[in-house]
Amino acid sequence: MSEPTAMQDLLKAEGPAAVPGLGRPDRARSLWRDTWDILRHRKIFWVSLVMLVAFLLMAAFPTLFTHKNPEYATLAKSMEGPSADAWFGYDLQGRDVFARTIYGARTSIIVGVLATLLTVLLGGVAGVLAAYYSRWLDSVLSRVGEMFLGVPYVLGAIIILGTVAPAQSSPDKVTIMAVVIVVLAVLGWPILMRIARSAVIQAKHQDYVQAARALGAGPGRIIFRHILPNSLAPILVYSTITIGSYIGAEATLSLLGIGLRAPVISWGIAIADHTSYIRTGAHALFFPAAFLSLCVLTFVMLGEAVRDALDPKLR
Amino acid sequence: MGRYAIRRLLQLIPVVLGTTFLINYMVWQLPGDPFAGRCGQRPCPDSYVSAMRAQFGLDQPMLVQYGHFLKNMLTGDLGVDFNQVPVIDQLGAAWPITIRLALLAVAIEAVIGIGAGVLSGLKRGGFLDNLVTISTLFLLSLPVFVTGYLLQWLLGVQLHIINPTVSDEATVSELIVPAFVLASINMAFTARLTRTSIVENLRSDYVRTAVAKGLTNRRVVGIHLLRNSLVPVLTFLGTEIGSLMSGAIITEGIFNIHGIGGMLYRAITGQDYTIVVPVATLLVLVYLISNLLVDLLYGVLDPRIRYE
Repeated sequence: MSEPTAMQDLLKAEGPAAVPGLGRPDRARSLWRDTWDILRHRKIFWVSLVMLVAFLLMAAFPTLFTHKNPEYATLAKSMEGPSADAWFGYDLQGRDVFARTIYGARTSIIVGVLATLLTVLLGGVAGVLAAYYSRWLDSVLSRVGEMFLGVPYVLGAIIILGTVAPAQSSPDKVTIMAVVIVVLAVLGWPILMRIARSAVIQAKHQDYVQAARALGAGPGRIIFRHILPNSLAPILVYSTITIGSYIGAEATLSLLGIGLRAPVISWGIAIADHTSYIRTGAHALFFPAAFLSLCVLTFVMLGEAVRDALDPKLR
Repeated sequence: MGRYAIRRLLQLIPVVLGTTFLINYMVWQLPGDPFAGRCGQRPCPDSYVSAMRAQFGLDQPMLVQYGHFLKNMLTGDLGVDFNQVPVIDQLGAAWPITIRLALLAVAIEAVIGIGAGVLSGLKRGGFLDNLVTISTLFLLSLPVFVTGYLLQWLLGVQLHIINPTVSDEATVSELIVPAFVLASINMAFTARLTRTSIVENLRSDYVRTAVAKGLTNRRVVGIHLLRNSLVPVLTFLGTEIGSLMSGAIITEGIFNIHGIGGMLYRAITGQDYTIVVPVATLLVLVYLISNLLVDLLYGVLDPRIRYE
């Protein structure tokens, strides 16, 4: 920053980036149309979309990727490294790491998506109600939200899971997944409530809402037909990124031994099982960890692409 | 300002009460017997269970228990754990280590995050900018424990640069790598926040005026631009101190550091709730108070913000 010419770059006002496709006058423009036009010219969007499709395929049809049984264990092969036979090697129990990694995608995506949906439902309803009816309901909901936000995320999850499903217990697959999903959503809803609340407050004072009210529309119609469609954008952006962070959170809780646990197949559990064998069998730890990180990356990138496209400030 | 501070403090009271009640309720009232399995291979004799329940007040109604808890907290009496060891002694040993770790992490976040953010924000679209954008994207996607195990394996097991685990003394030099791991995600956030802030302020009138006055680049960036751009970054760093401490649970687990996080984690897996409640309360208080301080600091740093 010491060379004098740098100032020229410094002062070059960051005008709206020229986006191909915008400014063509012949089509009716809506926010979503604009968004799509921007999105399809972004490389990051296509990269994340391809990765997303790959992970969704893995979750839906794991047999497309591997014909091995993820539960089948050959103890003699315990901790064998990667080979042509087993690309990612074998884990502590002599199970195929590649097969288990592929099958793990399903758990992570189910937990991430369902927990996000529940968060959007809880936080969205609370936020819309708080913003629309304001007054005392707003104060109460905001204070309750603050109480939940007052508990740091990991801490809260550990406390709830540690008591509801202690590390010593062994609940069945569906129960433990449901518990983890509910815990993630219960701790995460206040942030979504804030986002939904501020979006609705902004939309509430627009002329079209006043017009609808003047025409005699009831609260239900105003909320669903007028306010919600216009405050969806920030909620959508936040939820995309949230799926990624919930997938990471699920793995973190499983790692601590209080989230998912066997017989569920998940990346977090695979990592947890091999943390003590980092010297001898790093492959059994790092391959699931790599898939986990790539999956989180997919949703973070997708969220960023959508945010850049939806955020009018950046246009 | 003074009145605002007092009002914020008063608003904190219901939140603290609600949060601590939530913790107490979740820990003590949810199903599961805290004394099951404390007697080895056989079920605990009734006399032991009833004596323990009486000692820790579990035979009383929830609200009475909560009242006792508040009184003890206010008088600084943290009680004893299930093994009759005073909780305050254990806290005294673990607390300094976690503080050291968290402060080190904040320092790393500030230096690397702000540095990278400023450099990329000043030259938007340049090589460095793209590099920072991509590397922060990756850092944001790596869960803390993945970074932790990766560095432990790479630097500790493969290259022998560090010890894979930290000794009991937990000296600053040993804590650098764990602090880096703890800081990694926030560092990426800091870099991005700084970059956005710099890019926004570059367009502002006062920067244009400063350039028009003929000030040197160094002065425009260092005095005018940086000071104003760092306000949101500082508030972010401040609010994150609280969550760093609870985030330390995982980092401390990986590197075997005997801090608050490790203590809390052992207490939870060992179901010793007498440690869980005071430690969790302490962490929540640190979190809430650091948030409050940052809010107040905001007005000092940015006089445009007026408190009613």
